[in-house]
Amino acid sequence: MAKYIVKRVLRSLITMFIIITILFALLRLMPIEGYFENFDKMSETQIQVKLTSLGLMDPLPKQLLRFYNQLLHGDLGVSNVYRRGVAITEIIGEKIPVSIKLGLMSLCISLAVGLPLGILMARSTRTKYKIGDRLGTVFIVIIQAVPSAVYHILIQFAGSQTYVGKEIFGLPMLFDESNPKSYILPVLSLSIGSIAYYAMWLRRYMVDESNKDYIRLARAKGVPGGAISRRHVFRNAFVPMVQYIPNSILFTLMGSLYVESLYSIPGMGGLLVTAIKRQDNTLVQALVLIYAVISILGLLFGDILMGIVDPRISFAKKEGSR
Amino acid sequence: MQSSENNVILSFQDLNVKFTLRGQTLHAIRGVSLDVLQGESIAIVGESGSGKSVFVKCTMGLLDANGYISGGSILYNGQDLTTFRTDDDWLKIRGKEIAMVFQDPMTSLNPLKTIGKQIQEAVELHQGLKGPRAKQAVMEILSDVGIDDPVRRYKQYPHEFSGGMRQRVVIAIAVACRPRILICDEPTTALDVTIQAQILELIKAMQKKYNLTTIYITHDLGVVANVADRIAVMYAGDIVEVGSCDEVFYDPKHPYTWALLSSLPQLGVKNEPLYAIQGTPPNLFHEVRGDAFAPRNPRALKIDFLERPPMFDVSPTHKARTWLLDPRAPKVEPPEHSRSLREKGVSRRV
Repeated sequence: MAKYIVKRVLRSLITMFIIITILFALLRLMPIEGYFENFDKMSETQIQVKLTSLGLMDPLPKQLLRFYNQLLHGDLGVSNVYRRGVAITEIIGEKIPVSIKLGLMSLCISLAVGLPLGILMARSTRTKYKIGDRLGTVFIVIIQAVPSAVYHILIQFAGSQTYVGKEIFGLPMLFDESNPKSYILPVLSLSIGSIAYYAMWLRRYMVDESNKDYIRLARAKGVPGGAISRRHVFRNAFVPMVQYIPNSILFTLMGSLYVESLYSIPGMGGLLVTAIKRQDNTLVQALVLIYAVISILGLLFGDILMGIVDPRISFAKKEGSR
Repeated sequence: MQSSENNVILSFQDLNVKFTLRGQTLHAIRGVSLDVLQGESIAIVGESGSGKSVFVKCTMGLLDANGYISGGSILYNGQDLTTFRTDDDWLKIRGKEIAMVFQDPMTSLNPLKTIGKQIQEAVELHQGLKGPRAKQAVMEILSDVGIDDPVRRYKQYPHEFSGGMRQRVVIAIAVACRPRILICDEPTTALDVTIQAQILELIKAMQKKYNLTTIYITHDLGVVANVADRIAVMYAGDIVEVGSCDEVFYDPKHPYTWALLSSLPQLGVKNEPLYAIQGTPPNLFHEVRGDAFAPRNPRALKIDFLERPPMFDVSPTHKARTWLLDPRAPKVEPPEHSRSLREKGVSRRV
C-alpha cells in the first residue's frame, strides 16, 4: 500500500514538473505588454530597463531555473497589472478563504442531499410505479439539460422576491460576508448541480449493482432488504464514484466563475478570467499552476481512495502494469 | 434411495407462472404438479428456456418483477407459499428453510467483502450466533466444504479464489443457513469439467451431513445420473415425465424423454452425426394446444395436436404426460437409441 502511494505521488510530481515547464514556455510566448501597467507611454529604453530588472532578458535556461527555484520557495511572483506590486500569494490568500467557505457549505449540502436522493431513486426503481425515480429523473434531466446560467438566475430571482406582500424568502440578492442570510442563495446555486450529479451517478451504480448475481444470492440467503441496500448495494455502488469525488470536491472549493460574479462574491472563480483579460502574465501563470496542481491532486487522491476501498486493486505487485 | 418415510416436504399443485413482457403474456409454467419428498434428491431436467429455473425460483419469491404466479399452490410446512406477498413473508423461508446455489460462482459473491464475512452473514442470520462464536462456526463450515487453511481464507476476497473454490464458498453460504431444502441451479455448468465431479460430491456430502432435501436443476444428464434419486423432465413449462432415475433412464415413456436420451453424446456412433431433436420449442407467448412436444415429434398422434394429455401412471413412482399411455393408443415403440440404453451397456454413470 505504502509503496503504491509513493509511486503514485512520484508520478504526480513528474507530471507537475512537466506542466510547470510547459507553462513557462507558453508564457515566454505571451506579449511583453503583460509585464507593464502603462506600456503605451513608455519609451524603448524604459521597457528594456524594466525587462532587465525583471530578469526577462536573461538566457532562457537561466530564467527557467530561477522559475523552478521561486516555486520551490512558494514564491509565485508579483502581479504587474491587476494589483501592481502585490505578491500573488497575497492576492490569492485574500480570495481563497471566501471560495473555500462557500464551497465547503455547498459540498456538505450536495453530499447530504445528493447521496440520499440517489439511494431513494435506486430503491424506488423496485417499486411498482417508480414515483421517486421518475421525479428524481425529471429533476436531474432539467438540471443537466438547462444551461446552469438559467437556473442560477432563476434561483437568485425567485429567492430574493417577496411574495404576497410578505417576506417568505426575500433573501439578499448579493453576497455580503457579514450577513449569514446572504450565503443561502449562492450556496444553493453552487450545490444544485452537484446534487444532481451525485444523485445521478449513485442511482445508476446502485441499480447496476442491485441487478448483479451476488445480490440475488444475498436475497436468497435471507438478508432483509434494508440490510442488502446498506451492506451490499450502497457500498459497492460507491466504489466507482470514489475515484471522481476528490476532484469534484477540490473544484467545488475553488469557486465557480459564474455564481461568484452573479452574487458578486470576492472569490477565486473570476480571478483567472480577469487576469487573462488584463494581460497580467505572472498572475495567469500562477493561477494556471494552481488549477493544474488541483487537478493532479484530485486524480491522485481518487486513485489512492480507490485502492483503499476496492480490494481487487492490488498494490505495487505488477511493475509498470498501469 | 429414498428416505424411509416418504414424507412430502414441498408440494407443487397445478402451478402456473406468467410473465408480462412489453404488453404480452408469457405462460412460463403451465400447470405443474410435483411432490418433493423429504430427504431425496430430485433433478429437474430440460432444455434452456423450459422453465426449470422459474419453477424453483417460485419457492423463494425470487421471480423477476414482471413475473407472477397466476394459479395453483406451493405447499411447504402447512403454508401456501403462493400467498406470500412481501419480503417479510419470504424472510421466513429464504435461507432459513430453503437455500440456493446459483449457476455462476464467479458472479454470485460480493467482490468487496471477504468470503468469511459473507458466510458469517448467513451464520448470524440463521444460526443466531454472534461475534467470535459466529466466526468459529464459519471456520468449521469452511473446512466442511473442503477449503484448507480457513483462518487465512476467511480474510480473503472472492477474486483470490478459483471458480471451483468460489462454488465451494457459495455452497458453504447455503449450508450455513441450515436450510431443510437445498436448490442447486445448474451448480456445475459454469465450472471446468474436472471440478464438476468434486462439486457434486461435495453437495452430496453436505446433503448427507445436514440431512438436506436437494433439488437439482440441470440440462446435463451426466449430472442427473450421478446425483438424482428421481428425475422430473420438463418441457415448455410443464413436467412431462417423472420417475425414479432408473425408470426414466431405462424405461422412458414420453417421446420427449426418448428424444432427450437419444441425443446423449455417449450413444453416438463414430463418424456419424449426433442425434439432435428437430425443430424448436413452442413459443410460450401463444397458448399451447395439445401436447407441447407434438410438432417436433415424428411419432405424434392426431390427438396430440388437439388435446393436452393427462398424467398417466406407469407405476406408483413413474408418471408421464403422453397419449401413448392411453389404453386406446396404438403401440408405438421407443426409438432404437433410447430403448437400448441398458443393452448397449451405458450405465447410469454416464
